[in-house]
Amino acid sequence: MRYQAMGAESSAFVKKTMLAAAAVMAAGAIATPASAAGTTAGTTISNVATATYDLPNGGSGTIQSNVVTIKVDELINVTVAWHDPGDVVGPAGGTNQVLSFTVTNGGNGTEAFTLGTVAALGGDDFDPTITAIVLDTNGNGAYDPGVDTVYVPGTNDPTLAPDQSTTVFILSTLPLSAADGNRGRAELSATSKKGTGTPGTSFAGKGQGGGNAVVGATGGKGQADGFYKVLKASVAFVKSAAVADPFGGTSQVPGATITYTLAATVSGTGNIANLKVTDSVPAGTTYKSGSITLDGTALTDAADSDAGSFSGTGIAVNLGTVATGATRTVTFKVTIN
Amino acid sequence: MKILAILLAFAAPAAALAAGSDHVSLASHVFVEHVKPGPGGKPEIVRDEPKVVTPGDRLLFELSYRNAGADPATGFVITDPIPASVAFAGDESAGAIFSVDGGRTWGPLAVLRVAQSTGGSRPAAFSDVTHIRWVFARPIPAGATGSVSFRGVVK
Repeated sequence: MRYQAMGAESSAFVKKTMLAAAAVMAAGAIATPASAAGTTAGTTISNVATATYDLPNGGSGTIQSNVVTIKVDELINVTVAWHDPGDVVGPAGGTNQVLSFTVTNGGNGTEAFTLGTVAALGGDDFDPTITAIVLDTNGNGAYDPGVDTVYVPGTNDPTLAPDQSTTVFILSTLPLSAADGNRGRAELSATSKKGTGTPGTSFAGKGQGGGNAVVGATGGKGQADGFYKVLKASVAFVKSAAVADPFGGTSQVPGATITYTLAATVSGTGNIANLKVTDSVPAGTTYKSGSITLDGTALTDAADSDAGSFSGTGIAVNLGTVATGATRTVTFKVTIN
Repeated sequence: MKILAILLAFAAPAAALAAGSDHVSLASHVFVEHVKPGPGGKPEIVRDEPKVVTPGDRLLFELSYRNAGADPATGFVITDPIPASVAFAGDESAGAIFSVDGGRTWGPLAVLRVAQSTGGSRPAAFSDVTHIRWVFARPIPAGATGSVSFRGVVK
């Protein structure tokens, strides 16, 4: 097709009067290579030059060179890129945590790829447990449970045209033991089914269009790492007691009052929901009615609209959602029998 | 008389043929250039005449001419359309002129412009070149040979 267009130009060159019109047609016939991956495998490159010169009788002679014909072999190139904007955050123990990758066929022929993962990598704090590779079946770039198809090697290996990309997801479970801020790395790889090797390795006859398939700069395999990050809040409780005896001292004698202080401090990232502080009244003591306070504010003993309550055996204070960095302090009093 | 006239009528085309393609020849060679480790580990450029190439390969196009006639060849012009799958990459022999519009207009690359779809035009770049041409100001002497060349990259 392309060579035909050039042939038309060459003959047009002889007939100078027709040159302009023919050249315009030929220029229109030359397809613009739309592919950054390069000339499609199997395309023929033909070069033929023309020379003109004066003839002794005043005319013009034209000769054409021999035609050099070269075939474009298939170049295998694949790249994988992690395309989440940053670490994918999830809770410790979180399941189906999604990393998103783009697999691009940078070669010049249609190519099928085997996908693989690695979780045991250095440079991180934990290894996520990879539970599935999922193909972005509906092509919207986002993981849709039940819609996007789970990848099964050898069954639904993605096949990509030159320059075509597809999104692939890794689903993982994050370890319960991970601490706040810990990062875990997971790798997705895409390997050309035609073969891998050092750049320049050639697989005879395997190329699209009947030529060879030649391993490009990526070695026929692309891979990229993505990161998970665990965000976790934790609570530290500190309980302390202060005794005040009826004589102005601190002796634990009958009639002395013990003030218990329960300090709940949330640290890490995020917040703790439904945080509830409970404590039982120690044996040999009697709860002092109406003594519950939260951050210095008195609460009633009844289970009502305020956060505090006394059950008859112990106290409870609902702190609700407590943000990281905050300390909530609960106090109550008992009397030694 | 009549016989002589017929002879003359034949003589002119015969002379034209004799001074035509039999007297000047043009050969085209395309080499691919690979960098390979040479003696002592120093990288050296190896040239092959390939049957196959891959995108990104650097090609050297060489056009050799020969004037096999008895008279100097005047008005000698070599034209090579750049193959569609090849991007012109420079290093052309001195004196070349270019076309970026399929051979319609010609000039040094520095003066050529390419119309833009958004209107207006921009200076032509290597990748715009569709044809390369050498116009020889001096005749090619009888028996003389020479060559011109340029580089391209497989798109």
